Amino acid sequence: MEPTLVVLLYSTLAAGAAALGALPLVRRGRIPVVAIGWANALASGLMLGSAYLLISAGLAYPPWIGGVGAVLGIVYVWFTHAAAGTEELDLNQLEGTGDVYGYKVLLVNTLHSAPEGVAIGAAAMVSLPFGIFVALAMAVHNIPEATALSAILRSRGVRLDTAAALGVMTNVTQVLLAVVTYALVSAAPGALPWALGFAVGSLIYLVLSELLPESYRQAGHTTIAVLTILAMGAVVLLGDLPR
Amino acid sequence: MDPVLVVFVYGTATALATGLGALPFLFVRHVSPRMVALAEAVAGGLMLGASFGLIVEGTGYGSWQTLAGGAAGVVFILLTQRVLAGRELHVGEARGADARQMILMVIVMTVHSFSEGVAVGVSFGGGTTLAAVITIAIAVHNIPEGLAISAVLRPRGVSVARCAGWSVFSSLPQPAMAVPAFLFVEAFRPALPYGIGFAAGAMIFMVLVELLPEAYEEAPKPAVALLVSLTLIGMVLFQQYL
Repeated sequence: MEPTLVVLLYSTLAAGAAALGALPLVRRGRIPVVAIGWANALASGLMLGSAYLLISAGLAYPPWIGGVGAVLGIVYVWFTHAAAGTEELDLNQLEGTGDVYGYKVLLVNTLHSAPEGVAIGAAAMVSLPFGIFVALAMAVHNIPEATALSAILRSRGVRLDTAAALGVMTNVTQVLLAVVTYALVSAAPGALPWALGFAVGSLIYLVLSELLPESYRQAGHTTIAVLTILAMGAVVLLGDLPR
Repeated sequence: MDPVLVVFVYGTATALATGLGALPFLFVRHVSPRMVALAEAVAGGLMLGASFGLIVEGTGYGSWQTLAGGAAGVVFILLTQRVLAGRELHVGEARGADARQMILMVIVMTVHSFSEGVAVGVSFGGGTTLAAVITIAIAVHNIPEGLAISAVLRPRGVSVARCAGWSVFSSLPQPAMAVPAFLFVEAFRPALPYGIGFAAGAMIFMVLVELLPEAYEEAPKPAVALLVSLTLIGMVLFQQYL
C-alpha cells in the first residue's frame, strides 16, 4: 500500500478509537471521578512513552535541531492555551461550571490532537512500522481521553452518541496533521528532525499541563504515578520491537 | 599510575563535581512556597531528562532487563515511602512531608549513583585511554544532579554547604562501584541494564509521585509544565553534547 495511505488509515483508526471511550458510560450514566483520573494517567504514560521513542529516533540527527523543534512544540501548546484562554482549565469538572466550559473542553481536545498527528507523521517517516506503532499508542491514548471528555459532556446533558461522535471529531486534527506532516517530511527529509523535536516537546508539555495536574487530585499521587509509569514502560518496551 | 587507582581518583573527582550543583543557590536569598514548587519542577525536569538518557543506554544492552530493573526501582521507592511514612521525621527545621521528601530525594539520587558507578567502571574496561574524556563527561553530567538535590533541600532551609555535601554524598557510590566494575568487567556487564533500568525507574517514579504533585499544588500549571518540559529537553541536549 502507498505509505501515505497507511498513515491515513492508521491515524484514522486512532481517531476512531476515541468512540470506544464513550462505552464505559453506556451502562451507568456517570463514571466516578477517580476513573477519569486513571484514564488521564494511562493517557499520560502512553504519551510519555511515545515521546521517549521519538527522542531516541531523533538522536540520529544533530541534537540542537531536535532541541529547537522541542522548544517550538512547547511554545506552540503553551501559546494555543494562552490564546484560547484555557491555560488554567481543568479537564475534569463534572459540575459547577459555566456555560462555555463544555465548548472550551472540546476546543482544548481539538488543539491537543494536532501535535499527536505530527508525532504519527514524523514517526512514520523514521520507519513505517514505527509510525504504525505510534498511531496505535495514540489510538489507545485516545480511548481514556474520550472517556474523560464524554463524562464531561454527559454531565452537561449531551446525548451519549453525540458525545462519542464529538470525541472522534476532536481527533480529526490528528488525522489531518499526520498526513500533512508525513507528506511534508517526505518532500523535504531535512524537516524530519524538526518534526520529531516538535512532537516530543508538545507531547511532554501536553502531559504536564493538561493530563497530569488534575488526575493527581482525582485519584491520589501513588495511583496516578503507578499507572503513568506502567503505561510508559509498556510503550518503551513494545516500541523497541518495530525498529 | 595503577589503573585501579586512576579509576578511583577519577570516580572521586566526578563525585565531587556533584557538589557544584549547589552553587546557584548561593544567589538565592528569599524562599517562598511557590519557589519550592518551581525548584521541584526544575529537579523533576532534570531527573526525567537524565532517565530518558539512561533508558536509551539500558535498552542498548537489553530491553527486558532494563524494564525489569525499572519495575524494581518503582517498588523500591514505594517501599521506602512506606518505611518513612510511619515515622516522626525531621531534617533541620523541616518536618513531616517536607522531611520525607528530602530524605527520599537523597536516597533516590544515591541509589541511582550505584548503577552510574558500574557504567563508569565498565566503560573504563576498554582501557584508560579515554578515561579523561569519560570522567569530564560524567563530572559535568553530575552537576545538574547536584542541582536537583539542592533544589529540593535548599528551599527547605538546608544551608548551601550542606546541600553541596549531600550532593557529593549522593555520588559517592560512583567511585565505590567503578573500581570493582572495572576489575570485573565481565561479571558486571550483564548486571548493567538492570542497574540502569533501576536508576531510571526510581527517578521517574520519584518525579511522578513526589515532585510533580507537590509542585502543582503551590504553583500555576503552565509554570510547572514549562519548567519541567524545558529542563527535560535541556538535560537531554546536555547529555548529547557531552
